[in-house]
Amino acid sequence: MIYNFSTSDRMSVMQTEVTQKFLPVLRITLGWMFFSAFVRRTINVPDKLNPHSTAYVGGKLITFLPHAWSPIVPTLEYTLLHPTLLYYFLLLFTALEAMFGLFMILGFMTRLSGFVITVLSWSIGAAGGWLGPTCVDEWQIAAVEGAAALMFMFTGSYYLSIDQLIAKKYPNGLKIGKLHIPLW
Amino acid sequence: MNGKTIEIIAIIGMLLATGVTFGLYQINFQGFGHLTNYSKTPAYSLNGTVLYTNGTLFLHITRIAGPDTYGGFVVLVQVLYPNGSVFYEWNASYLGHIPQKDIWNKYDLPGHLTHGDGFALVVPLGQVSVVMLNIPKPVPPGTYIIRVYDADGQYEAYGIKFQVVVTAQSS
Repeated sequence: MIYNFSTSDRMSVMQTEVTQKFLPVLRITLGWMFFSAFVRRTINVPDKLNPHSTAYVGGKLITFLPHAWSPIVPTLEYTLLHPTLLYYFLLLFTALEAMFGLFMILGFMTRLSGFVITVLSWSIGAAGGWLGPTCVDEWQIAAVEGAAALMFMFTGSYYLSIDQLIAKKYPNGLKIGKLHIPLW
Repeated sequence: MNGKTIEIIAIIGMLLATGVTFGLYQINFQGFGHLTNYSKTPAYSLNGTVLYTNGTLFLHITRIAGPDTYGGFVVLVQVLYPNGSVFYEWNASYLGHIPQKDIWNKYDLPGHLTHGDGFALVVPLGQVSVVMLNIPKPVPPGTYIIRVYDADGQYEAYGIKFQVVVTAQSS
């Protein structure tokens, strides 16, 4: 690959290199916020995924209902009325949090992980963000973690990341046909 | 990609992220004008409530606001004449001992069911319930107001009154 950088481009690259050194602190913290949800539901309090327990996180979705963003409400109601669907939805959501939380911590496919975590964050915001004022979790997940994840979608990661190793061999991302998909 | 393209992408990303943040802030809390905190005080909707002339009341109750970590506590249910005088009422002790067979919950999830706890009727956030209550005397045909009071002594929050006007129907 031949790069044709101007002087200003070279300066930008240098600045980017410096900035990248300070990103892992946010990336690892952000990843942990999602991966820890998996840890809580499977190791700390397994009853959180037990539909017969009062600790079941499915019940949390009921509390989202009253002021959820209106396009979300019918889907929420349908899921709550179908316990099997609700259970598998929670398993899927927890698996996504585990997988992409861990990927973010490791700096593996950071851009893809950033995209997935952005979608997870903003969907929580649209469904349960109204609970923010007393229990700031939902609102801050949507606002801060959504923005941080979107940032990583654009920055990717170099330092302290698996992507750094992959990028040495495949600098243009995943190649499918003529397309280069920048997953890292 | 050159530096200019990256700058443009970064600006679009920033506008998107801050747009979602500000948008949800306004949608969830109406925060740019007057901040609304729906998770502070419990509120109830009684839409769908039905009263029969034989004295049976099917109280449709939904908790539409208030804290998510513990239930809203209903301590008084009243059947009022249109002029506001009381036709019949159920106090906290009665409501706290309603048998579970007389309460129907739309969402069957443990820990989030409407139930009597001995002191009040507990209505968890978001739950939609129908509670069957009986007035031990016939109800003359006409219009009545069904009203519930929260444990904080209020029957109104966020400009919403916890009441509904019904016409007694023959059973």
